[in-house]
Amino acid sequence: MGSNSGVIGWGNFFHKGIGYFAYTMHRISGIVIVLYLYLHFFVLSNLLKGGATFNSLITSFTYGPFDIFIVMDILLTLVIFYHGANGIRLMLNEFGLGLKHHKVMFYVLESAAMAVMLLFLYFAWQVLVSGGGV
Amino acid sequence: MSTEENGSGTRYKHGQRTTGSIQWLFQAASGVFIIFFLAVHLYVAHINGGSPIELFDTVVGNLRNPWWLAFFLAFLWIVTYHGLNGVKGVIYEMGITAKTRKLVSWGIIALFTVSVIYGTLLSLVVAQMTIP
Repeated sequence: MGSNSGVIGWGNFFHKGIGYFAYTMHRISGIVIVLYLYLHFFVLSNLLKGGATFNSLITSFTYGPFDIFIVMDILLTLVIFYHGANGIRLMLNEFGLGLKHHKVMFYVLESAAMAVMLLFLYFAWQVLVSGGGV
Repeated sequence: MSTEENGSGTRYKHGQRTTGSIQWLFQAASGVFIIFFLAVHLYVAHINGGSPIELFDTVVGNLRNPWWLAFFLAFLWIVTYHGLNGVKGVIYEMGITAKTRKLVSWGIIALFTVSVIYGTLLSLVVAQMTIP
C-alpha cells in the first residue's frame, strides 16, 4: 500500500498501525481545516454589513440560538491541535530528526498538544461563560 | 519496491515524493509560522485577559493597528498557502496523470491568488470602517 493507492487506501489504517493512522488523519484533518478556513472567510465577510449584523451573527453562535456550534468549535480545536502536533513530527522527520522514534514522538507530541488544548479550552470557556467580549 | 503506471507513461515509485522537496520544505516552514500565528490568534480571539477580540468594535479597532493588520495579512497568506498546498499534495497522490496534475496545479494557484486578494481587500476595507 503506497501513497498512490488513492483515497480508498486511506481507510486501511486499521491493520497498518499508528503510522498509517497518522498518515490518514493528517490528510482528513487538513481537509477539514481548509473547509473551515473558507467558512471563516465567509463569516468574516459579514463584517462589511456593519456592527449590528456582525455581532448578532457571532453571538448567535456563542450565546444562542445556534450555540450548538460551540460543540463544532471544540471538535475543530481538537482537529487543529491534532494536525499541528503531527505536523511538528513530520517537520522534525523531514530534517532527519527522530526518524527512528517516530511512533514514540507521535504519542508524546499528541499528548502535549492535547494538554495545551485542554488548557486553552478551559480558559476560553471561562471567558465565554463570564460574558467576555459581549 | 513496486512501481505503478500513472497513465501517462511516467512511472512513480511507491512512496516517492510527488510534489517536490522544495514544496515539502515550504510546507514545513509555513507550518512552523502557523503554530506561532495560531497560538496568538486563538489567545486574542478567545481569551485576551477576559476581553476577547471577537465582536465588531474590537475587530475593527484591532485591524486599525498597522502591526496587527500586518500580522493578520501574513497569517492569511501563509495559512492559505499551507492549506491549499496541502490539498494539492493530497490530490497529487491520488494516482492522477501528469497532465491532470498540471491542471490541478494551475487550479490551486488560481484559487490561492483569488483567496489572498479577497482576504487582503476585506482586511483593508474592514480596517477603514467606522466604529459606531
